[in-house]
Amino acid sequence: MQLNNRPYSHWREGLTVRDVLDENHFTWPKLVVKVNKTLIWPEDYNSQELLEGDNLEVIHLLGGG
Amino acid sequence: MIKMCDVPRYAGPDAAELEKMKKAHVLLNKVEYERTPLKHGYTDKLLTVDVTDKSVKISDIPAEVKEKFVGGKGYCLRYLWDATTPETRWDSPENEIVMSAGPIAGITQYGGTGKMLVCTISPMTDIPIDSNVGGFFGPYLKFAGFDAIELRGKSDKDVIVVIDGNKGTISIEEAPLEHLDSHLMGEELTAMYADDENDRKNVAVVCTGSAAEHANLSMLNFTFYDPRRNVVRLKQAGRGGIGRVFRDKGIKALVCKWQGVKANLNDAYDFGILNKVGLKFHREVANLDEKQNFMRSTGTAYSLRTLADYDIVPTRNYKFGDAPGIDNMTAEVFRKDWLTQGGADGCWYGCSMACAKTADHFLLKTGPYKGQRVCVDGPEYESAAGLGPNCGITDPQAVLELNFYCDTYGIDTISYGTMTAFLMECYENGILNEERTGGLKLEWGNSEASLEMLHQMARYEGFGKIAALGSHKQKEYFAAQGWGDMDFMNDIAMEQKGLEYSEYGSKESLAQQGGYGLTNKGPQHDEAWLIFMDQVNNQIPTFEDKAEALYYYPMFRTWFGLMGLCKLPWNDIVPADNSTTDEPAKVPEHVANYLDLYYGVTGVRLTNDEMIRQSERVYNFQRIFDIRLGKGLRKNDAVPYRSVGPVTEEEYLSRQERYDGQLVDLVGYTEEQVKAMSLAEKMAATRKFREDRYQSLIDAVYPKRGWTLNGVPTVAHLKELGMDLPELLEVVEPLQDLQP
Amino acid sequence: MRRLEKDESLCIGCHQCELACSKAFFKVEDPALACLRVEDREDGTHAIHICNQCGKCAEVCNTCVITQAKTGVYMINKKECAGCLMCVGFCPEQVMVQSDDREEPSKCTACGICVKACPTGAIRLVTD
Repeated sequence: MQLNNRPYSHWREGLTVRDVLDENHFTWPKLVVKVNKTLIWPEDYNSQELLEGDNLEVIHLLGGG
Repeated sequence: MIKMCDVPRYAGPDAAELEKMKKAHVLLNKVEYERTPLKHGYTDKLLTVDVTDKSVKISDIPAEVKEKFVGGKGYCLRYLWDATTPETRWDSPENEIVMSAGPIAGITQYGGTGKMLVCTISPMTDIPIDSNVGGFFGPYLKFAGFDAIELRGKSDKDVIVVIDGNKGTISIEEAPLEHLDSHLMGEELTAMYADDENDRKNVAVVCTGSAAEHANLSMLNFTFYDPRRNVVRLKQAGRGGIGRVFRDKGIKALVCKWQGVKANLNDAYDFGILNKVGLKFHREVANLDEKQNFMRSTGTAYSLRTLADYDIVPTRNYKFGDAPGIDNMTAEVFRKDWLTQGGADGCWYGCSMACAKTADHFLLKTGPYKGQRVCVDGPEYESAAGLGPNCGITDPQAVLELNFYCDTYGIDTISYGTMTAFLMECYENGILNEERTGGLKLEWGNSEASLEMLHQMARYEGFGKIAALGSHKQKEYFAAQGWGDMDFMNDIAMEQKGLEYSEYGSKESLAQQGGYGLTNKGPQHDEAWLIFMDQVNNQIPTFEDKAEALYYYPMFRTWFGLMGLCKLPWNDIVPADNSTTDEPAKVPEHVANYLDLYYGVTGVRLTNDEMIRQSERVYNFQRIFDIRLGKGLRKNDAVPYRSVGPVTEEEYLSRQERYDGQLVDLVGYTEEQVKAMSLAEKMAATRKFREDRYQSLIDAVYPKRGWTLNGVPTVAHLKELGMDLPELLEVVEPLQDLQP
Repeated sequence: MRRLEKDESLCIGCHQCELACSKAFFKVEDPALACLRVEDREDGTHAIHICNQCGKCAEVCNTCVITQAKTGVYMINKKECAGCLMCVGFCPEQVMVQSDDREEPSKCTACGICVKACPTGAIRLVTD
């Protein structure tokens, strides 16, 4: 599985988008999440499971003063 | 927390004292003028005040200047250039402080549309500094009939300049008795020039503070009146020591009065489009802010806690990025215990984003105002991060107290935070000790010492005299005293071109190293903030990608400064469907909003490319201005190694897994080789790799910007931009073939 | 407090209230210029959006030009209003009116013109 086009070494069966966000401390409030280029809405983060070949993108929208 | 509910004024000046101050004013010159009303966002008038002979001049801004420099920062730099020579320094009489608000400034329908741009030759960098500031002065100056004001000369007495837009008068008055500190002077002058309580919102003041007499890192405060709190609020033109220049000129304050802010004083070309786009923006904030950044309730400090999760909140002079103890400074803590809600928190009319928060009735524990209750404007992210975790401090009370005193003394919170962090690391390494600091124990987390140093700086005594220099000159001083090794200090002092870094760790984002290093004024993130795109999202992996980002974003963000706009409403709120657009990071719908606003005000339709081009003209002009003053070449874009990689063993070891891994993944060593390397060897290999990479980044960025490999804009590029002006060619032509 | 009250079950969707409101204050019959809105649902029923004098408009106004009168009605001081439109954007019922030929927005004053125009009594003026 890829996370932001880098190999994700912690993939396991049943891994969800929410798990990846938690494991990486992705706490930023404005995220765009895509699995294989398909947009995933926040209400589906808990249920969206990731397959071994999936390409997960967690795009943080920039902020900063 | 004390709730804010029609509380009586608590910072207001005593009426008898005010009367005495007023009586002490001596009118030195008074000029009557006929106000030029705005037409499509412009008055095309420039106001020049020379405080040496107290003269006032009003002149036309030529069409060529308008065409090429647009307004705001463009006008500031153009007039600053014309007034100065290659030999001009910050304290030369001919150095000017130029202010201009830009064509969109002063509309009331959209968030963040009341900004003033301020430029001068900086006492910290010896090149032009530009600051973008809220408050009412910028728009009021436009309504009073001026697109820009330039202040030149030096007055032998402390003067204030008072512009009354309704009466059409400009007066220069000797003003000996007003307090220098901004929280007092702001109130005093507001009350003095307002007809009554209700008129206070029509008075805008620019002033600094007592520290600006001596401290290089001094800023200007711009006021706005908050009718809900009955208090004068302060916004800062913070960077680069503009306050020092202001006081060096003998100017105590500027006052601009305008009665009658209305919706269309800019005489918009298409008023309807401003309403349409503005209303859309307000609805977006109303519906989405509580789901996105909580700007209305917390302001920019919302991000402290979450940015620590990405290892980028500067911690102990940028050694680390995780800010231990930051749970004391979460958005919830500020909201619950410190900030008051429901005040007038937009720094200009119509800013529904309302990020300017305050801690009300804040009880001061130190300094000249100890025991008094005051209104603290802030904290904003930069102030909180710099004064706080960067110095190992995570006590919100201490951070707010530091924030208050920096503001009222006229000190830039960013420079103060970053500089104090450097001094604390010097203390940790024996470059400083209790004897050398006159008893200040500048240990990590010692907020009392930081506060005491700040008070000493304002009084210009003891170690405060050294603190007043800023980090760049401190390095030289410490080395000259034989206290520390210059190479080490160059590595750890987070300053470049003389200006302290703003508050983000950039070690793991090469693009952001460039975002700081390849800037015109010095390392401030207002040109480019690329950390997420680069380090987290991995969206710009190649040098080419990073160079493109370091072309687009600085040009795009320069545009805010031409227009009189704030950056925050661009991307601290985004439309609900932003994530479905091609380039969410650019927030395409908001860019379209800005082009609509520009059209609505001026009647000129720009394409996205033309928008970038407008910025590019001014951006290159500023680069050449730097070169004219002896900086602005490749060597001046070198950055301290602390912004690039781990300077000390402690830093390397704290992220050893990461750095060891990178030696394998990025540098090309085998795991066995890395295992066999000593710590010193690994650090040296890491350093070489990272420093080389920064040079490769420069090699990619300069040509993208139309510059030679030495950082000089090419003649061909200037021609393409229509900026092949004789005075610019004179500077760049001899340098076209000069190798770095 | 004087305010409007509604009973959607009585609404027949004739939009007379909107036309009367806009006619009274903007001299034209245009639902977009009315300080209340009737929304026609797909199932044939109607949603009525009226100002309930909740005061959100006054809360978000940075210049304090929207104040509550003794009657309980929130009024805009148009002389002092800078036309920033924040109140319009933040109105929970979206019943404030912005019109390009005026620099200030308008809001319901609970004057009762819409009540008189309503043939079924779906909108009432109450004082509580």
